[in-house]
Order: sequence, then C-alpha cells, then structure tokens
Amino acid sequence: MSIDLLVQALLNGFGLAMVYVLVALGLTLIFSILEIINFAHGEFYMLGGYVTYYGYALFGLNYFATLGLAILTVGGAGVVAERLIFHDLRGKALNAFIVSLGLLWVMQAGAQLAFGVLDKPVPSAFSGIVRGLGLVISIERLVVTLSAIVLIVALYLFLRLSRPGRAMRAVAQDADAAALQGVNIDAVSALGFGVGCALAGGAGGLLAPVFAVSPAMGALPVIKAFIIIIIGGMGSLPGAVLGGLILGGVEGLGALFMGSAAVNILGFLMVILVLLVRPRGLVGGA
Amino acid sequence: MEPRRDAGVPAAGVVLVALAAAALPVVTRDSYYLDVATTILMNLTLTMSFRLQVSTGQINMAHISFMGIGAYASALLVTRAGLSFWATLWIGALAAALLAVPIGSVALRVSGPYYFLITFAFSEVVRLIFNNFFEGLFGGPSGLVGIPKPGRLLGLAFDGKLELYGLMAVLCVGVVLALVRLDSSRFGLTASAVRQADLLAETLGVDVFRYKLTTFVLGSFVAGLAGVFFAHFRQVLHSSDFGLEPMVLLVVFTVIGGTGSVWGPVVGTILMTIAAELLRELHHYEILVFGAVLILTMLFAPEGLVALPSTARRLLRRLRGRATAPAGVGLAP
Repeated sequence: MSIDLLVQALLNGFGLAMVYVLVALGLTLIFSILEIINFAHGEFYMLGGYVTYYGYALFGLNYFATLGLAILTVGGAGVVAERLIFHDLRGKALNAFIVSLGLLWVMQAGAQLAFGVLDKPVPSAFSGIVRGLGLVISIERLVVTLSAIVLIVALYLFLRLSRPGRAMRAVAQDADAAALQGVNIDAVSALGFGVGCALAGGAGGLLAPVFAVSPAMGALPVIKAFIIIIIGGMGSLPGAVLGGLILGGVEGLGALFMGSAAVNILGFLMVILVLLVRPRGLVGGA
Repeated sequence: MEPRRDAGVPAAGVVLVALAAAALPVVTRDSYYLDVATTILMNLTLTMSFRLQVSTGQINMAHISFMGIGAYASALLVTRAGLSFWATLWIGALAAALLAVPIGSVALRVSGPYYFLITFAFSEVVRLIFNNFFEGLFGGPSGLVGIPKPGRLLGLAFDGKLELYGLMAVLCVGVVLALVRLDSSRFGLTASAVRQADLLAETLGVDVFRYKLTTFVLGSFVAGLAGVFFAHFRQVLHSSDFGLEPMVLLVVFTVIGGTGSVWGPVVGTILMTIAAELLRELHHYEILVFGAVLILTMLFAPEGLVALPSTARRLLRRLRGRATAPAGVGLAP
C-alpha cells in the first residue's frame, strides 16, 4: 500500500472529524457546566441543518450568512431548552439523561411534523477539487473542515478572553466557588447550554450540503461526538479535539481495511476500552 | 427517592394481576385485544426486570440487547439446530444471562453518566453485529424470518393467540412474583440502600459491585426470557427491534410509573402500551406524546405516577409553607 493512500485516508478521516469535534465540544461544554449528558444534542445539529436548508437552498441566502444564522438560531433554541427544561436538573445526571431522551423524541417527531419525513437535498456551495502531492481533496470538504477549525478557534478565544467565557470555565471548575465570587450561575448555565447547542447547529449547517437534511440526521454525529468526548475525557475541551483527531485517524485508516459497520464497532470498542483503562479519558483530570 | 411503603401488599397485588390476566379471555377472545394484552404482559416482564437495575441506580441502555440476544439465540437454535421451543426458552434466557456476566463486569466498573454511555456503546455493538455481520446466520438488514410458533406441550398446540397469551401470562406472573418477593427480601432492601447511597452501603460492608452485577445478570436473564417469547410470538426479528427506539420506550414505560415501587412499571406499562395502541396510526404523534410525557413526568413528578399522591401532598405542604421549602429538590419550582 502506498504512502499516498494512507495520507489520503487520514485526510478524509480528519476532515469530517473536525466537524464532529464541533458537536463534541458543545456536548462536553454542556457537561462541564451543568453536569448533564444531553442525548438530544444531535437534534440541535439537525435544527442547524434545517436552517441551512431553508436559508441557503430555499431562499438563496449567502452560504456563510446562513451558517451564522444557523449558529444564532440553534443557540437561541438551546437557551430556551435550558430555561424551560434542563435548568432544574443541574447535577442530576440520571433525571437529566432521561429528560434528554424525551427531548430527543419530541424534537425528532416535531421535525417530522414540521418539515416532513423525506430527505431534503442541499446543493453544494463549492465544486471542484484540488490536487497536490498526489492527494485529492474536494473544495467543499476543504471549506467545511476549515470553517470547523475557525469555529473551534473562535470558541477557544471566547472561553479564554471574554468575560462570559471565563465565567463558564469558572463554573465548570467549581460552581460553588464561582457563585461565591459573584458569577451568576443561572445566566452562565443558560449561556453555556446555548453556546453548546450553537456549535452543534453550526456543525449541522456545515454538513447539510455534504449529507442531505432529514429529521433523523442527528443520530450519527451525536454518537460520534459521544465517542470523541469519552476518548478525550468528558468535560475537557482539548480532550474533545484530541479525541476527534484519534477517531478521525482510526476511522480514516479503518475505512481502508474494513466495511463501515466494522469501523463503527471499532469506535464503540475504543469507548469501552478507554472507560476501562482510563475512565476520565485521555485528557480528563482526576 | 421514597422509602418503600408497600412491603405488606405485594402478595395481594400479584394475586390481583394474576386474576386480571386470567379474567381477560373470559371477557373477550377477540384476537386484537389478546394481542395487545400479550404485548402488555411481555413489556411488563421487560420493565419489571429493567426496574430491578434502575433500583440500584443504573440506567442500563443495553437492557434491550439482552432481550435481542435471547431472541436471536432461540430463533437460531429452533430453526437451525431443530431444538424445541420449550428447551430454547431457557437456553435463550441463560445465554443472555451468561453474556451479561462479562458485559456487566466491564460496564459496572464505571458509574453515573459513564455507565449510561458504556452500556449504550455495548447495545450499539450488539445491534451492529445483528445487522451487519454473519448475514447467513442473523439475516442481515432484512432480518430473521420464518421463526416457528412454540409447538406442542402437555397436549396443547400453542399456535393460537389464546395459548400464546396464556403462556406469556404464566411467564409474566412468575417473573412478577419472583421480583416482588426479591424486592421485599433482604436483597431488595440492600439494592434500595445501594441506590440511595452506595458509598454508605459500601462502608457498612455491602459488596456493592456484586449486588449490582447480580441485578444486572438477573435482569438480563428475564430480558432474555421475554426475548425468546418475542421471537416466537412475532416470528420475525430485525436488529432495529433491539435498537435505541425500543430502548427509550422501555425507559418511558418504567420511569413514568415510577421506579421506587414494583407497581410503578405495572401502572406505566399498562397505561403506555394502551396509549401506544391508540396512537399507533399516528406514529409521529406517538413519539411526540411519549417524549413530552417523559419530560413532564421527570420535571414535575420524578418519582412517577404511583408516587403522585404523596408528591402532590408534599407540593401542597410546600405551597402552604413556602419559606421552609428546601431549594432545588427537582420538583416544580
């Protein structure tokens, strides 16, 4: 097997993985702030897909403007979900998990009723391929991957430099201590949940032209995101990026040797292995 | 969660369930109603065994997979090896229990959110294997078809709706009887202690891991039993019968009734199976309604419908004396 083929496989794996990292970062941010697992996270990704379908494919708005719209709309939906549903479940992992299973069904069924069950195709915003060093990359995938990286960097800067971002990190570290320092926990929870969902919405918007938009489209990315955050360590943002790179590499290389079902099983086996050997994940603290 | 208060009534309750099950064929022999009643009893067997695990604080997202393992094992042993259903009923359940030992030992080393996710990972692995591997054996995406009905025993043919209903009723009452007795036994009380404070229980000398593993294996045995019945009742198996959607349905059935008492799943399963039949024509609305009911139950009555009287009492008391209400107990604000 030539080295070109291996590099190409890795690139294919990493390309999509960066978008799944966006979904995973949202999930892990919400977990770190509210200590809950939102199984309905993929449904916010799905909402982002539909915003893109209506904005870009139907009304012909600019691709990047639609992406921004998807991020804002889904972020808003996340704030509403936190205020209405998850707010009182802070730290109650079991109850919150069950509630998120209910929300998953409500949002999926709601989408089926509102948007119809059929797949809705979104045309590609970019066509053509670039070649170089014996590698082939479609421009669409390149734009999608680069956009995902830009959003990851934006999140990093937001959490590092902005006041609300620092408040989120403080709450994630120790909510009680943060509250004593005057951080408004309620506001940070709602904003954190919103930012987490906005990331999923952005990912949905990015992948809408790559895959079609459908009410059940959130199932796959949320599973990838769970695998990523468990490998990296739940609640850890650098862990999510590392987990995404590992999953992307394994899936990219795995696709050379085995079918897609076997590759999926490989992901779950990694989860089981990591939880056994290092339950807090590769980057997670004690 | 509430301490148990129904330790004295289980025997009367089981007799009531058994009588109700026995009375149904007297009231109607309509095949549709028998089908629904059989499904209720099958679901009840599943939710009762699921509650056993929830009662030690585990939401085992792979519970439905053990039903699948029992179902596929029995279907294959009957169609390929020519064994009798009456043997595979127990072999299938045992197969589920045997596989539950290594899977449970691995999964139970983590807790809380990690436990939900590791069991979900296991269930996806099992579903993917049924769907994509050994296609000659498991039938692949098109499923396993042509599974025969149970066959003769004690002069009964077991091919009509009535006989199948009777068989499921006997299995279900047996399981309910065993689980109710277990619940009020020393084992059940310890399980409850493990749920409420596993660290405290551990310091008092309870081997928490072994308790959790025992409930995991026992629950899987019962799920396997229900799975074998499911295979020969439906006569067709698909990997999606054991995927996320039926698993969430199981959570809905169990949680809505309440997991603090053995009667929670009984109430929840009967109500929700009937609701599912009424909403069958409108599939989207079905999962919409179920999802909404699940959210509302967890937000406003997290102890379930059976605890509603005491929940309402406490809410009233809190409304009267607002100032003394403890903050953040997870009930209505």
